[in-house]
Amino acid sequence: MIITLLRRILWLLTLVVAQMMVFNYIHLWGYATPLPYVFFILLFPLGTERWSILLWGFVCGLLCDMTSLTLGVGMAALTLTAFVQPPLLQMMAPKDAVEDMQPGYATMGLWSYFRYALVLTFIFCCAYFLIQTFNFFHLIDLLIAFGSSWALTFVLCLAIEAVHYKFTS
Amino acid sequence: MKGLLEFLAKYHHWLTFLLLEVASFVFLFQFNRYQGSVWLTTANAVVGYIDACERDILNYLTLGTVNEQLMRRNLFLEQHNEELSRRLEILTHDSTRTELLQAERLRGIKLLPAKVVTNSITRRNNLLTISVGSADGVQTEMGVVSGTGIVGIVYMTSEHYSIVLPLLNSRSNISCRLRGSSYFGYLRWEGDSPLLAVLDDIPLHARFKVGDIVETSGFSSIFPPGLFVGRVKAIGTSDDGLNYKLQVQLGTDLANLQDVSVVLQEFQAEQQELESRADSLNTQAQ
Repeated sequence: MIITLLRRILWLLTLVVAQMMVFNYIHLWGYATPLPYVFFILLFPLGTERWSILLWGFVCGLLCDMTSLTLGVGMAALTLTAFVQPPLLQMMAPKDAVEDMQPGYATMGLWSYFRYALVLTFIFCCAYFLIQTFNFFHLIDLLIAFGSSWALTFVLCLAIEAVHYKFTS
Repeated sequence: MKGLLEFLAKYHHWLTFLLLEVASFVFLFQFNRYQGSVWLTTANAVVGYIDACERDILNYLTLGTVNEQLMRRNLFLEQHNEELSRRLEILTHDSTRTELLQAERLRGIKLLPAKVVTNSITRRNNLLTISVGSADGVQTEMGVVSGTGIVGIVYMTSEHYSIVLPLLNSRSNISCRLRGSSYFGYLRWEGDSPLLAVLDDIPLHARFKVGDIVETSGFSSIFPPGLFVGRVKAIGTSDDGLNYKLQVQLGTDLANLQDVSVVLQEFQAEQQELESRADSLNTQAQ
């Protein structure tokens, strides 16, 4: 229990620091900004209490926003992603999955995890850019920023999961 | 209470989610100028819209009272309009020669205006009720006239109303003459048309023609002489062949009568008393 808690805190801090130190400075072609801290939500195993995921998501978003001076944007987007994660994982998990299955390549298979990460990162990026822009005056710019950031975030999440998979296996 | 707790236990993640989202948006609007201003503008617009809806609903709910007030106002204005129309009609009325002559002949005589309250013309003995009574100085045996001719004689009075025996009553018997001559007779109604009466007792040697004017003779204390009654429509003789029996087209249409005046003759009581004394002398002599 404590180990799980410590591991979560470690993941949280690592992702927040990485976002703060590295990813906040990446703006590919002036549009694509990676937001890989959503990976923190992807990590929660099957059967986790929903209120617990919501609180972790909220705190993670708060920390990232504090370091990015976008208070409220990441919090709202990540809380929404945390709310959607449990039913989505339940839907995408294999039928013979254990009750507390940890989502990953090893447990879900490559294709299922791809879809799982794709949908969650889509929801997160979509909410994030809508809340950040808060208008539709420059719809094309918004779509480009959202699309490119989503793709980059998705790729980074897969990469982090690949590293995670390598270390756990 | 138990149901509420069960509901909260079942959907606590929804409540947590909503709570955290609300907190997130509070942070968002509080610390981000653009989002805050958009929120403020939108909130103002929404509040304004809700206020407008509320006002519309309240206005709709008070429509009953407004409608009642409007109805009362409308009634008042209708009455006011009616009164003004009536006054205007009086002021701008293009009087006929008959009415002018009638007014001329009644000048100097005290008249009491009255409204016709009830009226009938279909019976053999019709009666008329007018809106003045003994409290206004009306007494029995007083004449009642309208602008177009005589109407009848006051038959009974109460404090505020009077019953008039109109021309259209078989018991009505008014002394009349042909204008421009001194031949007189008695006007009676035989129950036919409400616009036709009969003038009896005109001697056979009298000279007149159809269309001549029939007016009051003034031989009674009820009507002053010369008031228009009607015009000769047809000439015939009485059943015994000793007198003329003239059909008279009445000047007053009693079926369409609203405003009348009671003739208040100053010395009527004195004249009537004298006549009754004379009658009693005749009775004693017999």
